[in-house]
Formats: sequence, C-alpha cells, structure tokens
Amino acid sequence: MEFTVRSYRFNPEVDKQPYYKDYILNGFPSMTVLNALMKIKSETDGSLTFRRSCRSAICGSCAMKINGISKLACKTQVNSEITKFGIIKVEPLGNLPVVRDLVVEQESFFGKINEIKPYLLGIRENSPDEKFHVLKDGEKITQPVFHKSEFKALTGNNDTPNCILCECCFSECGTEVVNKKYLGPAALAKLYRYIEDPRDNDRDGSRLVNASKPNGIWDCVHCQACEQFCPKSISPVKSIVKLHEKAIKNSITFSKGAKHIIGIANSINKTGRLNEVKVAIDTVGLLGLMNDLPVVFRASLKGKIPSLKLKLIKDMDDIRLAFKELDREEE
Amino acid sequence: MLKHDVVIVGAGLAGLRACVELRKNGIDAIIVSKVYPTRSHSGAAQGGVNAAFDKDDSWESHFFDTVKGSDYLGDQDAIEILTSEAPANILDLQKMGVIFNRNDEGGIAQRPFGGQSFPRSCYYADAVGHMMLHGLFDNVLKYKTKILYEYFVTGLSVNNGRVTGVVTYDIKTGKFEGIAAKAVLFATGGYGQVYSSNTNALINTGDGMAVALRAGVPLMDMEFVQFHPTTLKSTGILVTEGARGEGAYLLNSLGVRFMSKYAPKAMELASRDIVARAEQTEINEGRGVDGAILLDVRHLGKERIMERLPQILQLSIDFEGVNPIYEPIPIRPGAHYSMGGIKTDNDGKTLVEGFYSAGESACVSVHGANRLGGNSLLDTVVFGRRAGISIAKYIKDIDYGDFDGSLVKRDEEIFERLRNSKGNERHGLLKTELQEDMRKNVGVFRERSLMENAIKKIEELKERSKNIALDDKSKLFNTDIIEAFEFNNILLIAEVIARGAVLRKESRGAHYRNDFPERDDENWLKHTLARLNGKGKVEFNFTPVKITKFKPQPRTY
Repeated sequence: MEFTVRSYRFNPEVDKQPYYKDYILNGFPSMTVLNALMKIKSETDGSLTFRRSCRSAICGSCAMKINGISKLACKTQVNSEITKFGIIKVEPLGNLPVVRDLVVEQESFFGKINEIKPYLLGIRENSPDEKFHVLKDGEKITQPVFHKSEFKALTGNNDTPNCILCECCFSECGTEVVNKKYLGPAALAKLYRYIEDPRDNDRDGSRLVNASKPNGIWDCVHCQACEQFCPKSISPVKSIVKLHEKAIKNSITFSKGAKHIIGIANSINKTGRLNEVKVAIDTVGLLGLMNDLPVVFRASLKGKIPSLKLKLIKDMDDIRLAFKELDREEE
Repeated sequence: MLKHDVVIVGAGLAGLRACVELRKNGIDAIIVSKVYPTRSHSGAAQGGVNAAFDKDDSWESHFFDTVKGSDYLGDQDAIEILTSEAPANILDLQKMGVIFNRNDEGGIAQRPFGGQSFPRSCYYADAVGHMMLHGLFDNVLKYKTKILYEYFVTGLSVNNGRVTGVVTYDIKTGKFEGIAAKAVLFATGGYGQVYSSNTNALINTGDGMAVALRAGVPLMDMEFVQFHPTTLKSTGILVTEGARGEGAYLLNSLGVRFMSKYAPKAMELASRDIVARAEQTEINEGRGVDGAILLDVRHLGKERIMERLPQILQLSIDFEGVNPIYEPIPIRPGAHYSMGGIKTDNDGKTLVEGFYSAGESACVSVHGANRLGGNSLLDTVVFGRRAGISIAKYIKDIDYGDFDGSLVKRDEEIFERLRNSKGNERHGLLKTELQEDMRKNVGVFRERSLMENAIKKIEELKERSKNIALDDKSKLFNTDIIEAFEFNNILLIAEVIARGAVLRKESRGAHYRNDFPERDDENWLKHTLARLNGKGKVEFNFTPVKITKFKPQPRTY
C-alpha cells in the first residue's frame, strides 16, 4: 500500500517560515504512524525531527497532531488514518511553542505539573511507623493497612494515576488557547490524584485553595476535549468537576466560579428559575457588576435585561424536595 | 563548566530512587537524562515487583528462588540483600506515594510470577512500572531537583583512577558541556536495541555501558541476554508475565499446552529462559502459528482481564489487532533485559573510584544468568537506594578532582566529523542490519559458527560505520546525530555480547549453546569481565561467583 505522509517542517535555524513536506512510502499491514516516521527518518530524510521512546503508548513522547487531532503516533494505525483522510498529515501539538518540526517546547507544561505540588503532603497521625527495616533470618514485616475502598478513585483502568503526561489534552484544551496561564487538564487531574489519595494530609486545604485561584479549576470551560482526546481514556474534566464539588463542600468559595455555582443553586432552590441578575450579583458582587455597566446598558436598550422578579414555577415543591434529597445524600 | 557534587545519568527507576535518597538529605545531586524523566523505559514495566509479604511466604524463599533462577551465577550475598530489603523498599515506595492494588485484608495485593514459589509480585494493574516511575519522579520534584533533560552523555572523565565528571551534549542547542562532579552514577538502563524484535524503548541503546567501557570501566556477564517469552508477534511489544501469573496458557498450533513437556510442574510459570526456549523449540519444530505461539487468556473471563490486564487488552487491540477476550494473542520470544552490565559491588560502586551504577545498566550481580520476572524493578529501587546512601557517604570528605577538559573537545570533534562526513552509509540502515544479525546469530539458541558470523558482521559494520553521513547538519534538536552516536554504542555492546557468548562454552540460564548444551560448573561457574584495551579490542577475564548459602544443583521447574 502506497501512501503519503505530509509533515510540518520548521527549523528556525534555517527556515524563514514553516512549510509542509510530502513523503511517499510503502506501508505494511500493522504499520503505525510512528513506524512511518521512523522509516522516513532512517531511509530517506534523517532531518525529520520528532520525539519517540517506548513505541507502546506508555511513555508519552510521540504525541503530535495527526490529521488535525492530538494523538500518540505509536498507537495510531496508518490504515485507519488513510481510510478516513487519504493522507497522514502530521503537525506539532497545539498550545505549545514549536522547537523544530514536530518537537514542541514542554517547559510550560511540566512547570504546571510541578506547580500543583504533585506529591503527598504531610503525614497522617495514625500512619504506622514505617522506618526502613531490613529483615533478619526468619523475620517478617508488618504492613500498614489500606483497604481497597480507600484507593477506589485511583485504581480503575481510566483513573488519573494512569496519565502518561503526553500533553494531548493540553494540546486540545480550549481554555489553554485563550489563557496561557491556565494550569491545564493534566496538572489538574494530577492534583485530583493527590487530593483523593488517602495518605495525603493537606491539613489546611492548601491544594484546593490554590487551585481555586485564577488559572485553576474554575477556569475550565467543560468543553470535554481533554476527555475526548486522551489516548489513555482518562477524563481530566471529570476530575476537575470533582474538584469543584470538593472545593464547595469544604467551603472554599472565594472564587468567582464557586460563587457562580452557589448562586445558580440558590436561585433554583428559591424560585425554580435562573435569576440571571441575582446570579451575576452573587458571582461578581455589585461592584463587579459596575465594571460591566456598558454591557448592561446596551443590553437594556435591546430589551435583553431579564426581569428581576421571577414567578415561582408550578412544581416548586418538587424542586425543593429534590434539593433536600441531594443534601441528605451528601450527608 | 557546570559543577555539582553528584551527577546522576539516567532518570528511570534506579536513577530517580538514588536521587530521592540524595536530595532528601540535601545533597547537591542533579539528573542528566537524554529524555524527560517520565519517558524513561522503566515506565513500560507491567506485571510486578517482588517482595515476600505474606505470612506463608518468606524472604528466604525469595532468596532461593532468585539464586535458582540465576542458574547459580548470581552473587548470593547480593541476592540476600535484594530479597531481605525487598519488603522495606516496597513500603518505602508506598510511603512516598506509589499506589499498589490491595488484597482483601488491606495489604498489598500480590500475583504469581515465573520461577517464584509464592505469589509475591506486587502490582498496580499491569502498569506497575508506570506507577513507580511517576511516583518516584514526583518525589524528585518535591525535593526541587535540577534536571537537565534532553542532554546526552558522551563521555566520562577519569583522572588518576577517579571519575571526575561527565561530558554532555545538549540536544536542544547542540552544545557540549562538561559537568564536574565528585561522584557520577550511571543509571542508564539496558541495550535492548541491539536486537530486532525486542520489547525495549528506542532509547535503550546501552549508552551508559558503552561510555563506561570506553572510559576503561569493565562490564560483567554481557553474554546473558534475557529473551522474554511473551512479546507481541508483529511489534515485539511486551505482554506481561502477569498474564501467565493470572493463569494464561501457552498453546502451540495443535492447541496443546506444550509447557507440560518442558516444565511439568511450573508449566507456563517456569523461568523466562526455559519458557522462551520451549517456545522457540515449538516454532522451530513446526508447531508454531505463523512463526508465533499463542497466549490464551480467554478462560480468565472478560471481567478479570479488564481488571487485572487492562493494558495488555489495549496493547493487543491497538498493536496486534487481536482482542484477547475473544482470541488468543500471537506472541514470540523477544530480547528484553540485560543481565550483564557495569560491574558494581553491593553499594553500586564500580571498579573506578567515584563512579557508581544501578539498575539495568549495572551488574551487581543479582540476576546471574537469568533474571526472574518482578526482580528488575526490585533491583532498581534496592540498589538505587543503596547507591544513593553510599554516594552520600563518599562525597562527604572529598573534594572535586580535575575534570579532563580534553574530552569535551574530543567529543565535539567526533560530532563535527559526523556532521561534515561525506560518506554514503545511513546509520538507520546499519542499525537494522546489526539488529537482524544479532537476533539470528546470537539469539535464544546459539552456536559457535553462527556467533562467528555475527562477529564478522560486526567487524564489517564497524568499518562501514566510518562512512556514516548525516542528513541533518543543524545544531538545533538534531536527533539524526544522536541516533548515529547511539548506533555506535549498540555496535560496541553487540561486540561485547557476541565475543563473550563465543567464549562461554556452556549453557547457563539465558545463554544456551547447541554445541555445549550442559551447564559446566567446574569450568564456568564464574563471571565474565570485559574491558577495552588500548587498541580498542575487547578483552576478557573472569571473577568468581559468591556462593554463601546455596550450593549449585540441577535446575528444573
């Protein structure tokens, strides 16, 4: 089978601007995109530059855009791409500056992972003494007890500890496009991994407090791209939503995001309807709203200002009952 | 020139474990790695890490199993350390944040592994290497460690018999730089890329071993190459021994569990050398399926497969087009692990002062002639930790030695020559030739005439490698030049393996010779040491095996 690989090429040392180069090659049945790139590099053009290591979807090196979608080249079959697109078009990941060809600068990504303090904090008082103990003849070691249920959120096949830091989610993240300071899905999923860890002892809740500041959990726009494009079928966005819940349950509600959610819940609890003005005031405060006065003014001219007074909906009792049920479930 | 008390080269499990030990004591240790640490190949380890925890198990039993597995070539004092320190090391990892699956009593869940007389492999589904790698790396971040990633080490500075630093090449900028150090630790992994059809990452090119050898440091037992019994037929990608630990069958084309012939008691869970040879025999005698053997997990049921072997399920689907829930997986033996490596003592010290090694790049030796599954991850943390402790002591009362600056120039010239070469050879193609040749001639079954063909081929490739030219002349992220250098490393390692294998006239563990099919304790119960002489020729001598508790016996499973 003959097919074309069209690669993004850019070496700032010699090229004025990026260009695409086509390579025509012969495939074999189970050929992956990484196989194809390696074949080009070893047989025809050694200057084609990309990262690669394990070739079995566990190291995360070879993430790149393949026909427009962030994927691991090593686990993407040439056949299926050719069937869908007729070509293998490879480009560097998004949201990260290009170093050369398919290689991107990763400093900002890894910096963000580091920022969430990706390690256990503190030591639990009830944790047993675990001094390093070399066994003598006939001796056995006693293990600390952790039940399966304690690691329930961390031992499923698609749970966050399986993240390989390949940057596919980061590359596709909608928030990252507009806010380069946003921590991003992988870092926040990692944060969730440590918050859920029964051994973590973040007594002052610093993890959630820090993550609730701007560029953290409340900046996610829930576009679900991170989940959709994760080659390990992990869902960072679900972790982020769980972090939202945890923040609110722990009364870490100083962020606009938390206030917004609480405002919506209150409005529905009271009236069964979304009182947009009230929610806006709850979220940014009256003073904050002042900043948006020009928008408010223009909206009012067009008759777009929602009514301040809302009638209760007909089945209000059911709504209240639902809220009560939810409260009880949480307890 | 940079200057740091300790330079750790390689950021897989052994390097990271040593690093944590040093950094938590505030020591100025840095990591130099040719890839970002989480890209290291330790992350691909799947099935488990051994430690005797169960009340019915004992570390002494683990000790004996490992000695027997090594075909009595492992040093028993080292294996005693490995197995008696195993449980404490696992708990230490757990304390650092590594997650293991749990059993019903709330302890660490354990599964059976080949050659082990008790289920003692601790696991995190079938991705325990990944879990340990990321867990340890997170701790390296915790201790705010300087990491020079995408730096390739090309030389080791040795001055007056003492290691004084390393020569590095910054892949991103193309600049060489020396780093002076009081102590250097090589945790650079193995050399699986010497062979075609291997389970290893493309980065596993034996760089550390080759650099050490060129600097005059001896390598030990390099002829012992482990062929893993279950690697995917088309790609060589690893299928964990944990699959057989969970109860998978090996079937030949007649649908027979042929292991009953080769290891009637242990069956599929005999040690790796024995299973790999059994498979190759079945294939050679015409009972293979398109040159492969079938690994059948169907009877385990969908639920258990999804819970315990999710990565295997996905890898089989993605890379072999086979769904193991409904079909057996075609597998074959593939090069997997290097039992040999840089000779060290039980604290990671090599024969050169100030120079240490740990993990797959080192040979302590705890694996002897054949490593048991689940013992390599253990080796990395036990001896990574010990190397860290021993380095911390060593650098305390010592000053920096003189760094040999001429090395930077030497390596700059090598690279310049490559960059400007007008030759007509492509390193990528030479590598494929070498790998194919090594698989055919220095593989699972060996004999003199074949191995001599391999040596001839290696000599030919050495000549041709002088004519390697590069397509890429750039200084910026030039991976063409890195691959050329890596090729020279695997070529050197291949030569040591092949010459050592010709020399050892017996069959022991993973080294099997058709022309010498028996183990010969009288003449060959000894380690092979390889050195480069002044003319660049490989020379060998021998050193005795340390036998403390277990006298060699015939080995059956």
